[in-house]
Amino acid sequence: MNRRISRALVLVDGKDGAEIHCAKCGHTIGPGGQPWKPGAAVREVPIRGVGGQAYTAGEKVLLRRFSCPKCGNLLDTETALPGEPFLDDIVVVKPNGAPRRKNTTHEQ
Amino acid sequence: MVMDPITFSIIRHRLYRVVDEAVITLKHVSGSAITNEGHDLMVSLYRADGSLLMGGVGFLHHLTSAAEACKSIIRRFEGRIKEGDVFLLNDPYTAALHTSDVYLVSPIHHQGSLVAWSACFVHVYDIGAANPGGFSPDSVDIFTEGFSSPGIRLVEGGELNQDIMDTLLNMVRSPEMVALDMRSMIACNNVAKVRMLALIGKYGYETVDEACSTLIDQSEKLLRERLRELPDGTWQSRQYLQAKDETYKVVLSMTKDGDELTFDFTGSSPQSRYAINCTRWASLGGLFAPLFPLLCYDITWNDGVVRPIKMIAPEGTIVNCKRPAPVSVATVGAIQSVNNAACSTIGKMLEASDKYAKEATAVWHANHFAVFMFGRNQHGGEAIGIFTETFAGAGGARTYSDGVDVGGEIPNPISRMANVETIEATFPIRYLFRRRMIDSGGAGEYRGGVGMEYAVMQHDSPDGGLNYVISGKGVDFPMSDGLSGGYPGAPNDYIWVHNDGVGEEGKNDDFHFAGSLDELPGERETVTWGVYPLMGDDCLYIRWNGGGGYGDPLDRDPDAVRCDVLEGVVSAKAAREVYGVVLSGADVDTAATAVRRKAMLEERISQEAAE
Repeated sequence: MNRRISRALVLVDGKDGAEIHCAKCGHTIGPGGQPWKPGAAVREVPIRGVGGQAYTAGEKVLLRRFSCPKCGNLLDTETALPGEPFLDDIVVVKPNGAPRRKNTTHEQ
Repeated sequence: MVMDPITFSIIRHRLYRVVDEAVITLKHVSGSAITNEGHDLMVSLYRADGSLLMGGVGFLHHLTSAAEACKSIIRRFEGRIKEGDVFLLNDPYTAALHTSDVYLVSPIHHQGSLVAWSACFVHVYDIGAANPGGFSPDSVDIFTEGFSSPGIRLVEGGELNQDIMDTLLNMVRSPEMVALDMRSMIACNNVAKVRMLALIGKYGYETVDEACSTLIDQSEKLLRERLRELPDGTWQSRQYLQAKDETYKVVLSMTKDGDELTFDFTGSSPQSRYAINCTRWASLGGLFAPLFPLLCYDITWNDGVVRPIKMIAPEGTIVNCKRPAPVSVATVGAIQSVNNAACSTIGKMLEASDKYAKEATAVWHANHFAVFMFGRNQHGGEAIGIFTETFAGAGGARTYSDGVDVGGEIPNPISRMANVETIEATFPIRYLFRRRMIDSGGAGEYRGGVGMEYAVMQHDSPDGGLNYVISGKGVDFPMSDGLSGGYPGAPNDYIWVHNDGVGEEGKNDDFHFAGSLDELPGERETVTWGVYPLMGDDCLYIRWNGGGGYGDPLDRDPDAVRCDVLEGVVSAKAAREVYGVVLSGADVDTAATAVRRKAMLEERISQEAAE
């Protein structure tokens, strides 16, 4: 059963554990519970002009576009200066592969 | 004892109405556009110990800070808090956000006992900082950011301490307007107190107290339940901000573990020599501003919501600066970066849930511009005032719809801008144009709402013009982050157009009726930080950001793109280059669009893997 990570990504049970797949084509982007961006196709472009005439940003400012290497589905974007690390978003995976949801009760 | 649910519900709604009526009072008594037009205000109710009872509307990052203000007053005046007192607090290192957002907190007594607090703020007309209006880019420390009090008794037992009021008014510009600001807040708290006592009079103190206690516990229970429904994980955000010629960043890792949420700002820049810093209390308020509406849209905003939340903000950084670092620009500086980062991470967390994905949003209007005009106006008086356009904002795209054009902002659910005529009646300026800004909304399957652009020039000024203070987070970075592949909204821009000599007799003076930046002749100079003149025929052009987009722009319905182009909010060029939609006249060229989009996808696929 697929579990949502975002519009573009799903968590799928694989034979070696949970995997992150492209929601559009099913391509495996990377292992579950870990940063997925290293498995994506990435393109850095100057943000100036990238979205139309209102994009008059600084010369060094970049837009990173992370895409599925198989189908080209745009998975995420982020604004960055050159050399900045990727922003990592990680959904924790339970041992059985499902996203972990605690059932703790708060003690007052 | 289990409380009668009907009585509980009635009391809960009465508390809402107490705040509503107090807000109305504040607006009606205040005479400044920033309060009654821009809604740069907040009113909330607090428990006897200062904890948040009923968060009101206005700028939500004040809800927790004003709680700390109440608690600070309780500590400072222990054993000396009397019925009818009103305390003033505006020191950012005690609880406030910056000196010009003045808190007035009033104890509410019933039969001689302290039972609650009412607290409110407005951005006062002036606070005596180095620069007029409160945002003080020339300040290098807190000592030059105007009057600052960690707590002072402005009203004692119902009697105004006139000497204290006179001392304050002696330190500010336009004291008559600041006096009106102060009186509007006193009136606001008086109304809140009267209505709270009426509520207690009707239902009895014990019943109201139990309802308040239950309400807080209920909010905590509901938020923890909601958090448990969301997946555990860590989501990150990074916000760049500029001050003058320096770049800083706010870095956030938000971790959800069970029924707790931790916001960790480790990695954010060291504190700045410029006034974009914020204090710890301001950062805490800053993260709650989007948390209240995004996670607690159906939960009462009170101390119960605060309990499951933790914050890590290393001391000495831009999000937890050490005294005497300057902070006067904080609300449009680091605090808003915290707002944006928290909005982004909460949005990503919600999007990871099938149940709550519909509540996710890209970042809304993320870059306030603080432009305060000052000088003699056409009526001969001294005027100071902000361009309230900064409150007009732009909505971030949702997972099912476009963001609202000029749709406000997340941290202030009631923000808005003044009419052009209101500004022109108060200041010696004339608007050349004010309209939605094409291409400013972040592209996506669902587009971010667009921002606006406008230009002004002096008009009928007795001094040939006026001056303005400008600050904020600069123009180099887009800040309204997109979600799930959506593009960020376009960045801001502020341009001083030098028209010297262009309008001399015999020369072309069409620029007086210019309808766009391109029609304004003269040298252009970007202005982001400091004090500048607006004299003669010069113009000031301002453009503000759109909201972030959601999803892949290539997934956007071509007909929606067509409509955007016809409405003038997306250019035909952007339609083709960003959305892959080819138009033929007023229609979509379906075949050419399919070819174009296929080519764009193939271009993406040809990229190397990231590592």
